[in-house]
Amino acid sequence: MDPLTLGGIVALATILVLFSGVSVALGLLIVSTGFLMVFDGMRSLELLPEILFGKLDNFALLSIPMFIIMGSSIASTRAGADLYEALERWLTRVPGGLVISNLGACALFAAMSGSSPATCAAIGKMGIPEMRKRGYPDGVAAGSIAAGGTLGILIPPSVTMIVYGIATETSIGRLFLAGVIPGLMLVALFMAWSLYATWRSGDQKLLNSAGYTWKEKFEILPRVLPFLLIIVGVLYAMYGGVATPSETAAVGALLCLIIAMVIYKLWNPRDLWVVLRDSTKESVMILFIIAAAGVFSYMLSSLYITQSIANWIGTLDVNPWVLMGAVNVFLLIAGFFLPPVAVILMAAPILLPIITTAGFDPIWFAVVLTINMEIGLISPPVGLNLYVINGIAPDISLKTILSGSLPFVGCMILAIVLLCLFPGLATWLPDAVMGAAL
Amino acid sequence: QSETLRLSHQWSNKDVRHQVAQIVADEVAAADVDLEIQIFGSKSLFKPREQYRPLSRGQLDMSVLPLSYAGGQQPAYNLTLMPGMVKNHDHAARLSASPFMEALEEKMADDDVMVLVHGYLAGGFVGKDKCITAPEDVKGLQTRAAGKAFEQMLAGAGASIASMASSEIYNAMQTGVLTAANTSSSSFVSYRIYEQVKCYTPAGDVALWFMYQPLLMNKSRFDGLNADQQKALLDASAKAEAYYLEEAKKQDAESEKVFRDAGVEIAQMSSEDFDAWRALAQETSYKAFVADVPDGQQLLDMALAVE
Amino acid sequence: MAGSSSAVASQTGNNPFLRFVAALSTVAGWCSAAMIVAAVAITCQMIFVRFVLNGSTVWQTEAVIYLAIGATLIGLPYVQRLRGHVNVDLIPLMLGKRARFVMAICTLTLSIAMVAIMLWYGYEFWHLTFERNWKSDTVWGVRLWIPYLAMPLGFGLFLLQLIADLVAVILKIDAPFGLEDT
Ligand code: NA
Ligand code: NA
Repeated sequence: MDPLTLGGIVALATILVLFSGVSVALGLLIVSTGFLMVFDGMRSLELLPEILFGKLDNFALLSIPMFIIMGSSIASTRAGADLYEALERWLTRVPGGLVISNLGACALFAAMSGSSPATCAAIGKMGIPEMRKRGYPDGVAAGSIAAGGTLGILIPPSVTMIVYGIATETSIGRLFLAGVIPGLMLVALFMAWSLYATWRSGDQKLLNSAGYTWKEKFEILPRVLPFLLIIVGVLYAMYGGVATPSETAAVGALLCLIIAMVIYKLWNPRDLWVVLRDSTKESVMILFIIAAAGVFSYMLSSLYITQSIANWIGTLDVNPWVLMGAVNVFLLIAGFFLPPVAVILMAAPILLPIITTAGFDPIWFAVVLTINMEIGLISPPVGLNLYVINGIAPDISLKTILSGSLPFVGCMILAIVLLCLFPGLATWLPDAVMGAAL
Repeated sequence: QSETLRLSHQWSNKDVRHQVAQIVADEVAAADVDLEIQIFGSKSLFKPREQYRPLSRGQLDMSVLPLSYAGGQQPAYNLTLMPGMVKNHDHAARLSASPFMEALEEKMADDDVMVLVHGYLAGGFVGKDKCITAPEDVKGLQTRAAGKAFEQMLAGAGASIASMASSEIYNAMQTGVLTAANTSSSSFVSYRIYEQVKCYTPAGDVALWFMYQPLLMNKSRFDGLNADQQKALLDASAKAEAYYLEEAKKQDAESEKVFRDAGVEIAQMSSEDFDAWRALAQETSYKAFVADVPDGQQLLDMALAVE
Repeated sequence: MAGSSSAVASQTGNNPFLRFVAALSTVAGWCSAAMIVAAVAITCQMIFVRFVLNGSTVWQTEAVIYLAIGATLIGLPYVQRLRGHVNVDLIPLMLGKRARFVMAICTLTLSIAMVAIMLWYGYEFWHLTFERNWKSDTVWGVRLWIPYLAMPLGFGLFLLQLIADLVAVILKIDAPFGLEDT
């Protein structure tokens, strides 16, 4: 059979299997096994364990559980609340105080956690009830946290950037840096929208929250210090010659655990187990998807589908920006249904040659891809962050969360457009810190 | 009838090892014997170290593979990446045609694997802050070596061994996690290590680092082809082997030029340096090899007997 | 609304088989968490030895990789028990009670078949490595059957947990896809 036709059949089968409600990782394994059995013969199944094992046989992957531990150990303490309160006291004169502090807290927390649901949970636990208490519209409260949480995978460290770096063999340190400015830009866009939405809701007193004395403002500062310590410690380890980016995750995890235990007194074994349980659960889920997506991409390659698609796109004579538009639509749709790591691993081998042939920078593309994945996190049917918000505030209806998040999706699309117009937003910082791109 | 063979390797399509595979594929296609070779480059099918087992079990037909990657399964293969075993490319070619290689091919035959194209590639050393020529130069340096035997020898010289993926060398050199590295000439160039180091010691008249990287094929699969197909494959391989040897020599000179153009200092290893390294290797890696492999001493003697 | 895990683990009722499997999966979860912690500790030890002592670090990278793989495979049953494996339950949500029940049986059976295949070939893979005493091609030279053991072990326990989940759905102890009737 023609590999392109076969590719279409594989796509259809994948959609059918994944929509049946089977877990994403097992679904990918089931589709791969089925096609390998039919087209490569029963004996090809002997390779399954070795391929699965091999896909996990990569040191950089280990940083995933570690960056998750960083987030969840801090999230299990009062630290999120401290951070959030400090920002509130200091930003009180800024119009829209509370929602702005929430978004700021999300951004800061994202700099300590590699995962988006963790960021969302850490700030949302405190932020959503507080905003609602003060009379913010439910949609703004839920939407801002859902969207702010997605920054977890754009602002470094980032689990998806690690996976992208592994799949495309690009420098993880460089990818991390590329996410910084677009991350801050998104925070600014989110803040602008939240302010507008709050102002539009008509409750003027929300825009000027209670004032704090200078004493109160300075009192809280020492409680933010641990955060700065962690961020500085991790940055020093990563760019100061102590460790490679993937090793740095261990330093971060250890620092966070120590700070959680020493400063926040998290030494009850039961509480510690909650941290470990949550990190283990998320890590195993992600790593298993990575392994299964690896088997899936082996199947695509073995049936010559990957190569045929790349060749076929190569023969199309289209404007690179039309191509980029099509790639974005594809990523958006895939992101609606699949978790970011699965999309990256399944799409990277097919998309990367197309992207580089069309003259786009793979580091820049990583940022565009990540923002696409962020959209997926707050859109149905599989939106991990929506799920987290639902857990924190079960009484806010899904419809309200969704309509509250939708404008933030608009901000993200605007960010992608800005990145297309000014690629330097992503590439300038890594070039400035690490020298011109490879 | 018409047959398709699947060939896997880990390199980009600009690499000499891809070109060797491509020559074989093109020549076989030109011979018009109903035989097609499908090349899966850049690790697109199997990861580098995952290739040997599918090859030996017939799930993969051909592979361009550093044989020492399978050293955990056939310890004798570790001899194909031993410091100081090969002096230069002509010596490498004589080694490929020696009783030593025949002994190795017997071991491959046990795994149902045969060699189509022999070939060795050389490599050198880079230092972030200084030149590395003699064993005392690596003392106290954080070093990333390609190959177990080299790690043993460098550790014997007092270097600190850091293990990491080759893709991390660039970053690790840049931030100072690594201060020295040893790998093949082409890897140094493709990872653009010249941007991060002060000094390069390329493979010259003598070189320590030689790695055997043949084009292998599953033996049963070869035996199952008809006589015309087999002949086409062998003819193509002979042509590719000649090309491989010429290109292997050029690689070292080219890498030297790239480093020189990037403003990196170039150092040369003298024959006294080479002898000192080899003496050290005898005490460390050769010794460990002989202790580890039952017929190790015999194989080692066979390899060293090649003039 | 779909997504990963509800915070609720799968129900076991008073069924001894379900409770036994749940206990096994929980122990597997502890082992998995312990391996992740060990990996963090070893990585920090490696950075310390290299950066502070300027010493050799030949075994750490490999050990940490195998621990992470072990944590993933051994952790599978526990994450299944916590309903932590993400799925798209768009269609199950749209289905009626009866159809959802049938759908749950189908997907669980399919999952069980898949994991059984992985267990079978995973065992063979491990056994071959054990029999021939293959080692990793590094100075450390780990006997590979040790890390590869995680494959049959993890998939074996995962299979048990999936069978338990199927039993729970059939006996109506647990709701299909963990979705309560609305
Ligand atoms: Na982050
Ligand atoms: Na989604």
